[in-house]
Amino acid sequence: MAIEYWRNRDRYYRLIGSRCQNCGDEFFPPVYRCRGCGSEKIVDKEMPKSGKIVTYTRLHEPLPGFEAQAPFYLAVVELKNGARVLSQVVDSPDESVKTGARVKATVRRMKVDGESGQIIYGYKFVVDR
Amino acid sequence: MHLMQSKERAAIRGYGAYLPYYRLPTTEIARVWKGGGSGPNVEKAVASMDEDTVTMALEAARLAMKMSETKELGAVFVGTESKPYAVKPTSTIVAQALGQHHTLAADLEFACKAGTEAIQVITGLVGSGMIDAGLAIGMDTAQGRPGDDLEYTAASGGAAYVIGRKDKKAIGVIDCSTSFVSDTGDFWRRAHERYPRHLSRFTGEPAYFYHIENSVRTLFKETGHVPSDFKYAVFHQPNPRFPVEVATRLGFTMEQIKTGLLNPTIGNTYAGSSPIGLAAVLDEASPGDKILLASFGSGAGSDAFCIEVTDGITRTRGVNPTVKSIMSRTSKIDYSTYSKFRDKLQK
Repeated sequence: MAIEYWRNRDRYYRLIGSRCQNCGDEFFPPVYRCRGCGSEKIVDKEMPKSGKIVTYTRLHEPLPGFEAQAPFYLAVVELKNGARVLSQVVDSPDESVKTGARVKATVRRMKVDGESGQIIYGYKFVVDR
Repeated sequence: MHLMQSKERAAIRGYGAYLPYYRLPTTEIARVWKGGGSGPNVEKAVASMDEDTVTMALEAARLAMKMSETKELGAVFVGTESKPYAVKPTSTIVAQALGQHHTLAADLEFACKAGTEAIQVITGLVGSGMIDAGLAIGMDTAQGRPGDDLEYTAASGGAAYVIGRKDKKAIGVIDCSTSFVSDTGDFWRRAHERYPRHLSRFTGEPAYFYHIENSVRTLFKETGHVPSDFKYAVFHQPNPRFPVEVATRLGFTMEQIKTGLLNPTIGNTYAGSSPIGLAAVLDEASPGDKILLASFGSGAGSDAFCIEVTDGITRTRGVNPTVKSIMSRTSKIDYSTYSKFRDKLQK
């Protein structure tokens, strides 16, 4: 697990996605071919760190490795450039987590690789109050 | 001469503070362990279960980088006693997340004064011309054994500073500093131990007071400064009482220390304690103000600094949330939630 995350650490720490040099569309997670115009002229691009909640749910039965954090909010966040990210929303009062709420990115512990394995860090979002 | 002063002065170019969202009232700790009452502080800041020194250091660092308008760092130093790994640097994770690779990176440890050590080392690197700018962070998720006196105050948080050359972006010139250390066993944590141990009353007179008084009096003696030269003073804050007592002994007034005195509502953020106190002062300081900063680290030692605020401070207003505003966005938790967040429950 640690190697897979290590290869993508800039994606998880810095929200590195893709920008199409042909049409200017931006994507997260990164793509090899533009979903808009089909061009393969793709470069890395750091995504904006703020956006708004498009939709969300409160998860009570999470995937293995996330049990201790349950219940938690999982949301589709639309960043300021239009790219969409699926992410946890943390440290936010229940009444603040709603469609349209402004959020900002943070980096948190995602999970730990077993008893003595590495700590996996990645992006989550917080409602911007 | 014991004064540390770089030939070319270094300056703070940007700073960022971080406190977690959650607060544990000390009445909760007293309720569980003593049947009532409270601790010396009202509340303490508690990191969430998905936060640690890496994540909090990064939050503060991003704010400091934004304020400083600095693109490249020659050093990233994290002062902490709560590294997530015994072996694997916190600083490299922070550097990676900032996109900084051509940089020195190291974790510094000296109990509660590791953050100011980072400031001193980067001041030297900048002052000697070896680097243009560096990042010094003091951050901790402080540990306190359940039921121990330390649990009332041991808190999470800290601050980050980008230090660079003294130019028009400078917001505070680091004029000079002093350090004073001795082998003093007031507080320690052995390898593989989860919580630190301390010698109760021994942490005061021969530790905190002896070392801070020596570092500050040395600075006074060798610069000619007197307490009234300083608009503000910030001391390490293990509890609400010690910084007030040491300030009084050294000739400072409550008016000079109240802005940076955060312990009553956030607790002791260890290596982050005096750095976040300094951030609260910089939020309100004006050009020309002098600030005395004095840390204390068990084991033991103290660093004292003379910092002079410069015109660049005016460009930083409104760039980042102030320490006051960060302190106002909180949610209270009970002892059970705190136990879950800080992994005090063993399944």
